Amino acid sequence: MTDTMRSHGAPARGPSAAAAAVTTGSANILMRLTDPPMRAVQRLIGAARMPYVFLLPNLVFFGLFVFLPIGINIVFSVTGGTGLFPAERPYVGSEHYARLLDCGSYLEAASCREDLFWRGVGNTLTFTVFQMVAMVLFSLVTALVLNRPIRGRGFFRAVYFFPVLLSPVVVALIWKWILQRDGLLNAVLTTAGGEKILFFVDPGWAMFWSVFVSVWAHMGFYTLILLAGLQAIPRDVYEAAEMDGTRPWRVFHRITLPLLWPNLLVVLVLVLIRSVQVFDEVFVLTGGGPGTATMMVVQYIYTTAFANQVQNFGLAGAASVLLGAVLFVLTLIQLFLTRRRAS
Amino acid sequence: MAGLELRGIRKDYGSTAVLKGIDLSIADGEFVVFVGPSGCGKSTLLRVIAGLETVTAGDIRIDGAEVTRTAASDRGLAMVFQSYALYPHMTVHQNMSFALENMGIAKAEIAARVDRAARMLRLTDYLQRRPAALSGGQRQRVAIGRAIVRDPKIFLFDEPLSNLDAELRVATRKELAALHAEIGGTMIYVTHDQVEAMTLADRIVVLNGGRIEQIGTPLELYNRPANLFVAGFIGSPRMNLLPTELVRGEAAGPAATLGIRPEHVEPCQEAEADLTVRIDLVEQLGGETFLYAAAPNDIPLTIRCDGQSRLVRGDLLPVRFSRDHLHRFDAAGLACRPEPLLARSHS
Repeated sequence: MTDTMRSHGAPARGPSAAAAAVTTGSANILMRLTDPPMRAVQRLIGAARMPYVFLLPNLVFFGLFVFLPIGINIVFSVTGGTGLFPAERPYVGSEHYARLLDCGSYLEAASCREDLFWRGVGNTLTFTVFQMVAMVLFSLVTALVLNRPIRGRGFFRAVYFFPVLLSPVVVALIWKWILQRDGLLNAVLTTAGGEKILFFVDPGWAMFWSVFVSVWAHMGFYTLILLAGLQAIPRDVYEAAEMDGTRPWRVFHRITLPLLWPNLLVVLVLVLIRSVQVFDEVFVLTGGGPGTATMMVVQYIYTTAFANQVQNFGLAGAASVLLGAVLFVLTLIQLFLTRRRAS
Repeated sequence: MAGLELRGIRKDYGSTAVLKGIDLSIADGEFVVFVGPSGCGKSTLLRVIAGLETVTAGDIRIDGAEVTRTAASDRGLAMVFQSYALYPHMTVHQNMSFALENMGIAKAEIAARVDRAARMLRLTDYLQRRPAALSGGQRQRVAIGRAIVRDPKIFLFDEPLSNLDAELRVATRKELAALHAEIGGTMIYVTHDQVEAMTLADRIVVLNGGRIEQIGTPLELYNRPANLFVAGFIGSPRMNLLPTELVRGEAAGPAATLGIRPEHVEPCQEAEADLTVRIDLVEQLGGETFLYAAAPNDIPLTIRCDGQSRLVRGDLLPVRFSRDHLHRFDAAGLACRPEPLLARSHS
């Protein structure tokens, strides 16, 4: 009797049951509302084409905010003038590309017609090399330490990951506050009896801190990838190595490193791609200075298009296309490596 | 090869005692199998012997030398893991030679040892393959080969056949027995499979709840179980355990529980019967038949008959118990002596 009453309209108990009832009711109403038009569309285009209808919202979104800007960028790169709309811009063909690539020697930025672009390329290369080495090294060491049964391991894992959650601009502003002439670090140095160091005036220091801050901000992400790789290595293998009398360095060199190599490769390529794209952290931290010592390619593009008195969208567009081509190749390499790892 | 001595081995994880005082001597060249239910501490005991786990108390001696605090790599033991634990990025040859390289042995000697082990284990054609390109049985042989080349004092096996299918398990079991006969090393083998234990062991150590229940040869354990646990654990199907009062003429004795193996329960005429049971399930295996029946008070009783049977579910069957094979246990679960006649005649 009681069961019958419950199944025939006895009120649902508790807030969660009430919420579930509301959700189910809303879903039913929505389904009743959308059912007739969906059936009409299906009759019109056929069931086989219905998947495209469901894909349409995302396609529109990507089209508007990804593919259309890429198309406009390519159009800008082959047109000249200062007009914003393509119709107002005269076609110049490969003129901007030729200007960017016109160099006496590619090893000497000053010999290039667009020397700032090549300074940006050189700085980005320097940044990329140091960033890759430092990032992989520190991420690997951190992952190795966090993989050990140390006290407070969960806490430290979280601590190393927190900077990843911060906006790059926030990260750069925090470090700028620490590193500026009257910043925290100089206060510590002078308190300890040392001299102030003008970190953003010396080109070497500026590049060092650009790399350091970037590593600090993103290391947690790569540490996580490597930690996952380390944890995927079976414990039995290490125990077998222990039984085999393998010394710790040899365990690292002959067991850990080869088995971690697929993860390391992914980290290397991801760091490479992100280094080539670097902009916001370095720009907020150093403004590209001193002079052009830390001006990266993306900053060159930004400045050329939006920050110079004469806004040269065409030249910036061509530089973007060239950078995009480099990133496309790097992404292909990453996809290839990831798929090979998965297989 | 060497003997092993364990004295008062205890292993606690926090407040949980996993090994509660293990005393055991294993002679040089002996094949000893640790058997017991899941969580009984058999793998922990093996890992303690290997040096992969520290002990909370007690001492371990190998060939008389104290090794309780000695590192795993310095004990001179080799272990075959349940998962094989092969180095996946190395070839079979590299897997087998890795430990020898660690020991600083000359390349020519390494090559000779690997070659000898590979021939013994029929792995010569696979030396340049990686583990992923091998079958389960081949990987198992590589793991054994990796142990053999080191010429260890004692071989340790941690459920090495549990990842193999039934057919391969039987074949590999035979190979292991042959290997022991050939190289004659001291071997300690952990399994929960009592068929492996019965067929491979010189002596079986039955563990339960971190303690040794009984140590003996396979037939000693089968014929003279020291207590109800061993009686129920060794033998498949397990021994029937019945209250004494169910069996004619037994109630007056000191025993509280009677044990009788399924093959010693005999169908008989009503007049000679100790019990009449109701058949619940008939398992026809061709050469033998298992009858799963219910005795009075729904006490389960398993009967093993030679050949095939025409009995079906629901049939009533009078049975009697061979008095020569009746095991008697007191109220504490310990075997009452004298033991069954047949057991005495075998021991």
